[in-house]
Amino acid sequence: MADFLQLFISGLATGSIYALAGLGFTLLWQTSGTINFAQGEFVMLPTFALLAFSAIGVPLPAAFALTCVLAVVVLGWGFKRGIADPLLRFGSMPVVVATLGLSIALRNGVRAGYSAEAHPFPSLFGDDVFRIGRVAVTSVDVGTLAAALVLVLATQAFLARTVTGRAMQAVAQDTTSAVVLGIDVPRMIFYTFAINAILACAAALLIAPTYLAKFDMGESLGTKAFFAAVIGGFNNSRGALLGGLVVGVCENLAAAYVSASYKDAVALAIFIVVILVRPQGLVGQRVERKV
Amino acid sequence: MPTSGTDKSEPICIELDDVVAGYGELVILNHLSLQVSRGKVTLLIGPNGAGKSTALKTLFGMLPVRHGRIRLDGNDITGAAPRDLLTRHGVAFVPQGRNLFGRLSVYENLELGGITLGMKTTRERIPEVLERFPCVKNRLHSAAASLSGGEQKQLEVGRALLLRPKVLLIDEPSVGLSPLVVQDVFLLLRALADAGTTVLIVEQNVRSALKLADEAIALASGRHVLHRRADELLSDPDLDRLFLGGTRAAGPIP
Repeated sequence: MADFLQLFISGLATGSIYALAGLGFTLLWQTSGTINFAQGEFVMLPTFALLAFSAIGVPLPAAFALTCVLAVVVLGWGFKRGIADPLLRFGSMPVVVATLGLSIALRNGVRAGYSAEAHPFPSLFGDDVFRIGRVAVTSVDVGTLAAALVLVLATQAFLARTVTGRAMQAVAQDTTSAVVLGIDVPRMIFYTFAINAILACAAALLIAPTYLAKFDMGESLGTKAFFAAVIGGFNNSRGALLGGLVVGVCENLAAAYVSASYKDAVALAIFIVVILVRPQGLVGQRVERKV
Repeated sequence: MPTSGTDKSEPICIELDDVVAGYGELVILNHLSLQVSRGKVTLLIGPNGAGKSTALKTLFGMLPVRHGRIRLDGNDITGAAPRDLLTRHGVAFVPQGRNLFGRLSVYENLELGGITLGMKTTRERIPEVLERFPCVKNRLHSAAASLSGGEQKQLEVGRALLLRPKVLLIDEPSVGLSPLVVQDVFLLLRALADAGTTVLIVEQNVRSALKLADEAIALASGRHVLHRRADELLSDPDLDRLFLGGTRAAGPIP
């Protein structure tokens, strides 16, 4: 039982990072119809930016702030203007293909231009181990889970409780009606790209100490974040949280009780079951297609 | 030339002058010219595809004007964006169908209705709007999608009224509503016009709408074919032909 609880908590910590990246997926999809298959690489790039700032002596909090600014400009504004805006007028599929290509280009660009090695990354939460009864919990797991949950819940609070957040929701629900009310739709869409970039930076900060900074670190993360978003419900930002936690916990338990070889297949298996049984996701809403 | 039975001394609020507009390669408004009097309810009628809804969308800047000019109180507003029309020119639009944000509450929908005003002004004006819609007032914290069709339409109109518009464009307000609710919506539009708002309405329920309207403008194939007083048109035996279209619809009513 103690092992189970340890695996469960550790799975929640990993899953909360999937949730962070998955939340970005749902936000971009809802407001602009963008599916970003380079989402994993959007986490990988800030990891290397953080390392670069640290290497020139910038303290980690300042490095994180600078990375966020850089990410908003490059992964937010640049991605929107350079890829999403020109291609979305032709539908979602060109964006899917373009972001698949972008992910390969970014991965290989970092490998060829910087390093193919895994680089250690400082841990934010130390290496302590707490014992609660017979259950041992690491400070990394607790810290990661708490930080990711705070970020996801803060994002949701922003969307639900501020006028700007509700305007972003309005754009996601019905762009034409948002235009009719005078909501600045392009600005709201940019905000979602910016939030996605900041969430990616946060995910980088949380995941890199465990998985190390490596050019292909985003490959698996991006795929699992996408599965998490679909499992939870692609049209519901709370779904990304639930989907992320479900994937994180299930793959951790499967690795321990079934086989570590199957760990990466768990998210895919849940994804297939959800698509077949409840295509709108666990908490997503069914959408009727207009003919 | 289109026929006109209206008083030429009425001050003109909206003027479309030789406007061409449409969707992609499809031209819907075909050199349309018309004038809407200030402070009146003007009904746009015509057969399906005549360009009624397209005229409203073009007026509200949701479709580009390919040719011609649009004027509001004499000012050229051709090409103005919806946000500019709302904030600078006092034009509000209630499109056809359901246009609420269903997962947001009634109150949140109202707040978004006034997003161009700033939240302080919007929150000051919300009680005033709610006074007109008691059924909506009682469900402020319900999800907008949970309202009945009539309540949703009232909320949409209320949302537009937050801006205290000088001009209200409203497209098919009666669709999906019971006759009693339609009556309420029409009475509200009448009251708005009586208070000085210019109302331009597209409505399939022509006979009921003509009882509400001051003037009617008929379109056919994207052109203006008639402009008459609503009460005169209501008693015209040729009304059904005009509304449904047909071979003679493009010509003036004798």
